[in-house]
Amino acid sequence: MAGKFCVNLTHSKDDSDRATVGFVLANAALGSGKETLVFLSIEGVRLANKGFAESIHEEGFPPLRELMDNFAKGGGTIYVCSPCFKKRKLDENNLVAGASIVGGAKLVEFLSDGSPCVTF
Amino acid sequence: MDDADVVWDAEDLACGVLLLRLRGRMEAMRPGQVIRLIAKDPGAAEDMPAWCRLTGHTLLSAEPPVYRIRRKEG
Repeated sequence: MAGKFCVNLTHSKDDSDRATVGFVLANAALGSGKETLVFLSIEGVRLANKGFAESIHEEGFPPLRELMDNFAKGGGTIYVCSPCFKKRKLDENNLVAGASIVGGAKLVEFLSDGSPCVTF
Repeated sequence: MDDADVVWDAEDLACGVLLLRLRGRMEAMRPGQVIRLIAKDPGAAEDMPAWCRLTGHTLLSAEPPVYRIRRKEG
C-alpha cells in the first residue's frame, strides 16, 4: 500500500520525550512502506544540526541520534523550517543526513494530496 | 518446528524501531519466504496485523509473541 505520512516535530531538548516519540512514529511509518517526511519546526529545528541530538536519550527508547540515523538510512526525508532555523541562528552548513532547509510551500506541496500529518 | 526460512528474535523492540528493522529483514528475503518473528512488546499483537495490511505481506499466524509472516511477491 503506497502513501505518504508526515510528522511535524516542534521540540528537541526542551521536550526530549516528544522529540523521541516523534521519530519513533516516523520510523513506524517508514517501516510500513510510507513515503515519510519529518518536518522540523519551532524548537525541533535544532535537531537538524549535526551533534545536537547526541545527548538526547529518553528512558525506554533508543538514543535519538540512532532513531534519526535509521530514519535517514531508511530513505526518510527531513525538511527544516527555514524561518525557524534562521531565527535561532543555526548553521545551515552542518545539517544531518537527509535534511534540507525549506519554506512552507514544500510542506504544503507534500500534504496537498490529503496526506496525513501528526504533530509532536 | 515450522516452515520459517528466517527466524528473528526481536526481544522487546517496539513500534517504529521494530517495524523499520522488520522491513529491512523482509527486504533481504525472497518473495514467498516466511519469517518467524518473536516480538515480546505488547503492542506487537495489534501492530503486526496492521503492518501486514499496510505492506501487503501475509500474516500466516499470530500467537504472541510469535508471528509468522510470508513476504509478498515482487
